[in-house]
Amino acid sequence: MLAAQAIFYYMAAASVASALLAVTRKNPIHSMLWVLALFLHVAGIFLLLDAEFLAAVQVIVYAGAILIFYLFVLMLLDLPGEEARPRFGRHWPFAAAVGISFAALAWLARVETFDRDAAGAATVTRVAADAPVEGGLEDIGMALFGPFALPFEIAGLVLLAAIVGAVVLARKRDTPS
Amino acid sequence: MIPATGAILGLSAVLFGIGAFGFLARRNIILMFVSVEVMLNAVNLSLIGFSRHLDDPRGQVLALFVIAVAAAEAGVGLGLVIALNRNKPGAGVADLTELKW
Repeated sequence: MLAAQAIFYYMAAASVASALLAVTRKNPIHSMLWVLALFLHVAGIFLLLDAEFLAAVQVIVYAGAILIFYLFVLMLLDLPGEEARPRFGRHWPFAAAVGISFAALAWLARVETFDRDAAGAATVTRVAADAPVEGGLEDIGMALFGPFALPFEIAGLVLLAAIVGAVVLARKRDTPS
Repeated sequence: MIPATGAILGLSAVLFGIGAFGFLARRNIILMFVSVEVMLNAVNLSLIGFSRHLDDPRGQVLALFVIAVAAAEAGVGLGLVIALNRNKPGAGVADLTELKW
């Protein structure tokens, strides 16, 4: 129990640190590598939350496919002057204010709801507090092909539209239209 | 329940704030997309936290859909970046003012 707590706090601290480094590094490649560290630590938190399938999807799809795609485009474009330019716009203090105030508001909402719950005053919503979710992957599969079958198909359609759109956008136009 | 749901939601709030800051402050269009990915990841984290808190697999299903939409967004967004880069090298958003008048 103590070990799980320690691992969670390590993962949380490491993900916040790598997210901060990812949005502030000057070299875009370094940013991407910090985002990779963030995704892997978030996958570790998913494992702690009994979401093994989502942890695998996070590593395979996010870290393995999406991030490599970003790195690929970044290296393909070869932005030589990028490091010389200012990395933030002039308005960056406003951006920082927006980020901090959103995080503070969400944090306050969380305290309002869940710390009272942790104190034991309101435990209505907690179903099966300490029982592990049994057959997590099986439950997800039944949900995906049962009540969520239509959204699942629509997700496939969205991906197909994205593939066609990306090809059309990035294609070199031979004939002037 | 370890880790506590409140801690998960706090971490998710902080990560979303960092992503929002990155999206608004960075000038490089690819790094703005990556900040959006950080925000989507924060949302996934809170969805899965709620999924375990309420002992309901639907939160994980929603997180799966979020990942699918993130993949679609990355594909179309980077296609746009490549198309823009063909006309005008560089990935700074400040250069892309052709639609502004």
